[in-house]
Amino acid sequence: MEELQRQYQRARLFAEVTLKIRQSLHLNEILQTTVVEVQRILNTDRVLIYQVFADKTGKTISEAVLPDYKTILDMEFPEEVFPKTYQDLYSKGRVQAIADVHAPAAGLTDCLVDFVDQFSVQAKLIVPIVLNLGLRSADTPAENGGNQLWGLLIAHHCQAPRQWTEFEVDLMQQLADQIGIAIAHGQLMENLETIVAQRTAELRQVNQNLQQEIADRVQAEDSLRQNEEQLRLITDTLPVLIAYVDHQERYRFNNAAFKIWLGKSPETMRGKRLRQIWGGATYNRIRPWVKKALAGETVHYENEICRFDQTICSVDVTYIPHQDEKTGKIKGFFALTSDISDRKAIERMKDEFISVVSHELRTPLTSIHSSLKLLSTGQLGTLSPDGQQILGIADDNTDRLVRLVNNVLDLQRIESGDVTMDRQACNASDLMVKATEAMQAMAQQYEVQLLTQPLSIPLWVDPDYIVQALTNLLSNAIKFSAPGTTVTLSVQEGSAMPPSPMALPPPATAQGRRSNARQRESGQSASDKSNSSTAKSQKCDPQKLELGDLKSRKTGSMVRFCVQDQGQGIPKNKLESIFERFHQVDSSDARKKGGTGLGLTICRKIIDQHDGEIWAESTEGEGSTFIFTLPLWSPE
Amino acid sequence: MNPKRVLIIDDEEAIQTVVKFGLKMAAGWDVLTANSGMEGIYQAQVEQPDIILLDVMMPEMDGLATFKKLSQAPETRAIPVILLTAKAQASEKRIFQKTGVNGVITKPFNSLNLAKEISRILNW
Repeated sequence: MEELQRQYQRARLFAEVTLKIRQSLHLNEILQTTVVEVQRILNTDRVLIYQVFADKTGKTISEAVLPDYKTILDMEFPEEVFPKTYQDLYSKGRVQAIADVHAPAAGLTDCLVDFVDQFSVQAKLIVPIVLNLGLRSADTPAENGGNQLWGLLIAHHCQAPRQWTEFEVDLMQQLADQIGIAIAHGQLMENLETIVAQRTAELRQVNQNLQQEIADRVQAEDSLRQNEEQLRLITDTLPVLIAYVDHQERYRFNNAAFKIWLGKSPETMRGKRLRQIWGGATYNRIRPWVKKALAGETVHYENEICRFDQTICSVDVTYIPHQDEKTGKIKGFFALTSDISDRKAIERMKDEFISVVSHELRTPLTSIHSSLKLLSTGQLGTLSPDGQQILGIADDNTDRLVRLVNNVLDLQRIESGDVTMDRQACNASDLMVKATEAMQAMAQQYEVQLLTQPLSIPLWVDPDYIVQALTNLLSNAIKFSAPGTTVTLSVQEGSAMPPSPMALPPPATAQGRRSNARQRESGQSASDKSNSSTAKSQKCDPQKLELGDLKSRKTGSMVRFCVQDQGQGIPKNKLESIFERFHQVDSSDARKKGGTGLGLTICRKIIDQHDGEIWAESTEGEGSTFIFTLPLWSPE
Repeated sequence: MNPKRVLIIDDEEAIQTVVKFGLKMAAGWDVLTANSGMEGIYQAQVEQPDIILLDVMMPEMDGLATFKKLSQAPETRAIPVILLTAKAQASEKRIFQKTGVNGVITKPFNSLNLAKEISRILNW
């Protein structure tokens, strides 16, 4: 009956404690509950849990003690009272039930007795808390077949020695097991919680990053929108047409100026083709340029467009191709169109002014020119030698003024586009003969031998202008030749290109050779006296022709004319600038030669208009060669 | 070269004078003068010159209009006409030549060479 009673009590108590233990997942709470409950059930003075750490040290982590006795919470048992050998025994499940610590039968060492005396311990019951961890971490070494001594559940009786009953020992043992299980669960839980906490922190970080990214994007979009608005503001404010056209010739961007010029808003233009916007006639005019831009070439041209108020305006147009950086394909082009009507009007006024002035100058010049020539015959009275000299000066300078007026007018006409080259099939030989004949008299006057080798080569040029260019060059060559030297006009089929500026030797340094520096220009008038001159053949320098052959592969066949003299030559650094208008290599020399400073500029304009090229080559002290190319005539 | 009678039609008196002196001195030709197209047509009809030198730029009736009348009138249509012009451009010369004139001489010219130039043009 008593036994039944005890069993019942034990079961009830055990159930109570286990329930309390299981109600909590927090280890500290479990341990505290255990010590309090065990102390109550056993009706003893002190119950404590001593935890043993991995390094074999330990500490009292929970305690339930009556107020009359000293607490040993947080205390570490010295090694001499709790040696490692004890720990090994406990881990194997040793239970110590000591009824009287002072009884010799208990077998306690003196130091241990002294130690327990400090806490008034009379009897003690010690059961190990052993973890049997299925789940084992690296820092908890597997000992005793997976059993690890986690700590000790200890009951102290202080008021008197106490004989621990089997029931009490069993109870303690079973509770220690329960604690072991709870700790294992708790550790697992803590482990899980750590993982959960880690994951939560990670998620929080990811979330934070996402939020930052969203904020960044919003900011980027804002600044993009701001940039776009700014760009739109700028392009809309500019009084020029700005557009982007894709490779299908569709508008992808237009600024507000389109609305003002064409009466079409950028919104309605987007996606429309060039032909739709400009109409067939204008489109056909601009088409070649569009094709070039879409082939990757930057183009620049002038055009006339009709605005929606029906006014016609002159425009300057630039297309800049847009190339895909990765593929290299042309994605479209940027188009910039500006109104140059005012500039054109001023240019027209200038051209007209020059033209009128030049014409108006000719009539009085005719009178002066002829009057001086009449005076110089001596038939109207004889002048003193000084008077003759002065008359000569007037006569020479009238001639020069005549040439200047002619050249200014020529240049203005060619530049303004008033004259177009009237191209026709003709023969190089005829042009050379014509030019040479015109210059024979002048050559004779300067005692210069004029050699020519006419070759029959078909050309597609304006013969009058080419003869003008040839006579300009011949006149220059003669003017700058010493008596007894030779000027040669030759022609060669093939083609030529000017030497690259990079290939030129460095410009000659100024060494006080002013007399060598000369101005090259045209002189249109030859002496009226005519004499015969010898004609011999001489070819262009073959080395120079090789240079040209390089280009012929690219540009097709050309004809190359050379005018070569044996004069003093031109400094290297002047070879290009002599083609500029009124350029002077040496002003005193130019005056002496009676030039106008426009001859070579006119030559270049004429050759440009024929899609040819003109340049000069020279070796100082040996002579100069002026070379130009012209397209070969072909039936196509 | 036989002495010729030349009619110069030009509103510039200075030109008339230098042409007159130049042709006389260089070739001994006689020169008649007219200050306008209308006067020139009248002179041409009355005097029947061997050659007419006709300035292009004149007020009222210009050289081309004068030439048109000269070439339409039976009394004057046979008289050769050479235009004197300040327009020296090759393309302009071509346009003038297409009108049917016998020749074009551009200003400025040397009046002493004029007789030779006229003779060359007209194959005298």
